[in-house]
Amino acid sequence: MDQANSAQNLASVRDDWVGVEFDWATFEMNTDDMIAWAEACGETDPRFTDAEHPDFQAHPGFTTHCMSGRVLPENFPQIGGGFGIDGGKKVDVHAPIRPGDTLNATTTIADIFDKTGRSGTMIFIVQRMEFRNDRSELVSTVDWKMIKKAD
Amino acid sequence: MVKILKFDEVELGDDLPTETPDVSMARVTNFCHSAKHVFERFIDHEAAKKEGFPAAIVPGIMSQGLLAAMIHRWAPNSSIQSIDTVFRGSLLVDSHITMTGAVTDIDDSTMSVELDLAITAEDGRTGVIGTAKLQFSA
Repeated sequence: MDQANSAQNLASVRDDWVGVEFDWATFEMNTDDMIAWAEACGETDPRFTDAEHPDFQAHPGFTTHCMSGRVLPENFPQIGGGFGIDGGKKVDVHAPIRPGDTLNATTTIADIFDKTGRSGTMIFIVQRMEFRNDRSELVSTVDWKMIKKAD
Repeated sequence: MVKILKFDEVELGDDLPTETPDVSMARVTNFCHSAKHVFERFIDHEAAKKEGFPAAIVPGIMSQGLLAAMIHRWAPNSSIQSIDTVFRGSLLVDSHITMTGAVTDIDDSTMSVELDLAITAEDGRTGVIGTAKLQFSA
């Protein structure tokens, strides 16, 4: 496929799929896992390591381990080569996550774009998980960048 | 160790104290269990080599957590509003890695601070780069 067709194809995929919600999951937040995570990260702030602290809460990136059931929507077109690699994660912390919270996560395709560098053209697919607590408050947003080599 | 206790103490260009976090096999294994993220490439050197890595690798989400902990030690009265990390290369378990950070922007009106972050592998490669935004309370 030449470069112009490839760009057109990517634009078409973007138009069809960005904003599509495709997975829903529920996660229980428990004290032991929250503390174990923080301690393994070398955390020393008692807000994250001491369950008795008045402001005890999950570490900022704790929701990054809450994997969605699906990586991509059903019938998502094959763009780029291979399964893709983990290019990074962005976490927005909107409110503290407390032990006992049940988080309801929805997953959408947030963006699809390409970049060209020394390694050639790479396609970025951004999967966004939004986590809301029992009171429907948005507490965390995680953007995961999947990187695939363009065909 | 330098600690920032109040927003007024932050200066543009300040460096966070450099840290060398523990990425021993025991520590990484603990992390993987807490994250329900137990894959052989993280917790078994030989299995990782069979997948083409030089040794077991530190999970990307753990490297982000290590940076968050560094920020909390530097500014214990702040709250991380966002942290964005790009995984550029492998960080090896049981190796000596170095974390750095610097203040790149300060917003007096919102009492928030932006940081550039990096983790360098033992051989000098940049394994992780990133940014974070912190909020200080009045």
